[in-house]
Amino acid sequence: MSERIKELYQEHILKKSKDESLKGVVQNETHSLEAYNPMCGDKFTLSLRIKDEVVEDARFDGFGCAISKASTAVLTESIIGKTRDEVAPLVKDFLELIDENGSRNPETIFQDDQLLAFEAAREFPERKTCASLSWDEVYKLVK
Amino acid sequence: MNIESIKSQFPIFKQETPLGQELVYLDTASSAQKPQSVIDAISGFYSGYYANTGRGSYWPAHKATTSFEAVREKVAQFIKAESKNQIVFTSGTTDSINKLVNAYVIPTLKAGDQVLVSEMEHHANLVPWQEACKAKGAQIKAIPLTDQGALDYQGLNKLLQTKTAFVSITAISNVLGTVNDIESIVEAAHEKGAKVFVDAAQAIAHKTVDVSSWKADFVAFSAHKLYGPTGVGVLYLAGDFVDIIRPLLYGGGMITSVSIKASGYRKGPQRHEAGTQNIAGVIGLGAAIDFMSEIPTLDLHEHLDALTSSVYKSLSSIEGLCILGPKKRAGVISFTIEGIHPHDLSTFLNEHGICIRAGHHCAQPLMNRYKVPATSRVSFGVYNSETDIQVLVKSLTEAKAFFL
Repeated sequence: MSERIKELYQEHILKKSKDESLKGVVQNETHSLEAYNPMCGDKFTLSLRIKDEVVEDARFDGFGCAISKASTAVLTESIIGKTRDEVAPLVKDFLELIDENGSRNPETIFQDDQLLAFEAAREFPERKTCASLSWDEVYKLVK
Repeated sequence: MNIESIKSQFPIFKQETPLGQELVYLDTASSAQKPQSVIDAISGFYSGYYANTGRGSYWPAHKATTSFEAVREKVAQFIKAESKNQIVFTSGTTDSINKLVNAYVIPTLKAGDQVLVSEMEHHANLVPWQEACKAKGAQIKAIPLTDQGALDYQGLNKLLQTKTAFVSITAISNVLGTVNDIESIVEAAHEKGAKVFVDAAQAIAHKTVDVSSWKADFVAFSAHKLYGPTGVGVLYLAGDFVDIIRPLLYGGGMITSVSIKASGYRKGPQRHEAGTQNIAGVIGLGAAIDFMSEIPTLDLHEHLDALTSSVYKSLSSIEGLCILGPKKRAGVISFTIEGIHPHDLSTFLNEHGICIRAGHHCAQPLMNRYKVPATSRVSFGVYNSETDIQVLVKSLTEAKAFFL
């Protein structure tokens, strides 16, 4: 087994990709975002309830690879309770974390292992869109 | 068929992958690797006799033109066309279809006409027809497939009861490997007065394209799936369509006379080949045809059939693995493994030096038909061997242990 593949599919990611605790639709949804990659067919729907600029609740549903599923699950979990102004830099940081040309050291971007797990995507640029799929959609909403 | 000797003609297999493994290339249905003879023919043209074709009266121009036109003859023989004048060079299958649709289908299609495609078409042989129907108020309908992945011929006959202008069908499915009975389809369609286009993108590398028996009106393929270069393809036009249909492209080289207000157009394939052609590409295609002509067709089929049956058997024995489509098929196997997404699988296999394709294979209606969002696909070429299958199966078992 190659070390690279173990890096990419860390325990955190494999575990998170099977975590369905935030699957579904929020009550009194205010925003429904579709994250779709026409090149591969991966598709997620993010269901959000944003009130007074705060993401009160978030859920997701859809189909994708382990990386896109895990990254969507982590995204959903990470934005609950945050204000729009807090979500925007978080998403920006995540997109830098997975970018092969990202200038900052991953450890200086995040301390949270769940998020840091995605840094291996820097080594697999062809899988970057899997990691960024849902994050890109949220960024469009909050930027 | 001596696989080792054939494989040794492909320089890509002489190097290791970036991770230091032997390359196991199982994506020939997407694009085939190139033998040295094709690479040499292209570089030989650029370094030895480069000039534009059909224009200059100096020696490199003459040699370039002669070599270019000789490939037209080679293509005609390779697909059993009556005349080299029926062979038009394009940039590939997609280009051939789009040009045909623009130059012939849209101008002749009428509101209310019916156009038939099948549920197994590549997007390239679907979207241009959709656009044509949209432009002219015609109806596009899909010939259904059976649950086993074959074309539903009864369904086709039923659809043909309604007046049909065009039937557009692939000879071999790029996802299921299903081999369609083109002769019967053409016969049924012609009986009802419909014209038939055949997408031979996959079939060409199987050496099963025979336009004289198919009797289709239009056939297209790309050189790159035939071990030739990218950016070059062919549109075969039956009978005298070549002189009748509107030029596929307007510009230099295709005219007889030009004034500010009007122009006259040439006859023959040159009528459709405006501008400087992909000369190197066409010369590379000629070398690819020479390469494939060296391999006896029966041996080629025996080789691909043996690999296909072997991988079918091996994959069938893997628990949780589901193969799409019929048992009898041409060198392409799509499958899913419960709990492992195709992209995760292809990334995993890449780390073992194995190249497979993951995704919807530009065939979303087919994916919807069988209710799978994506599949993994293995396809074979002349350089593959039983060893490749063994490496694949071993790695698939490891992938299951890793992901599940």
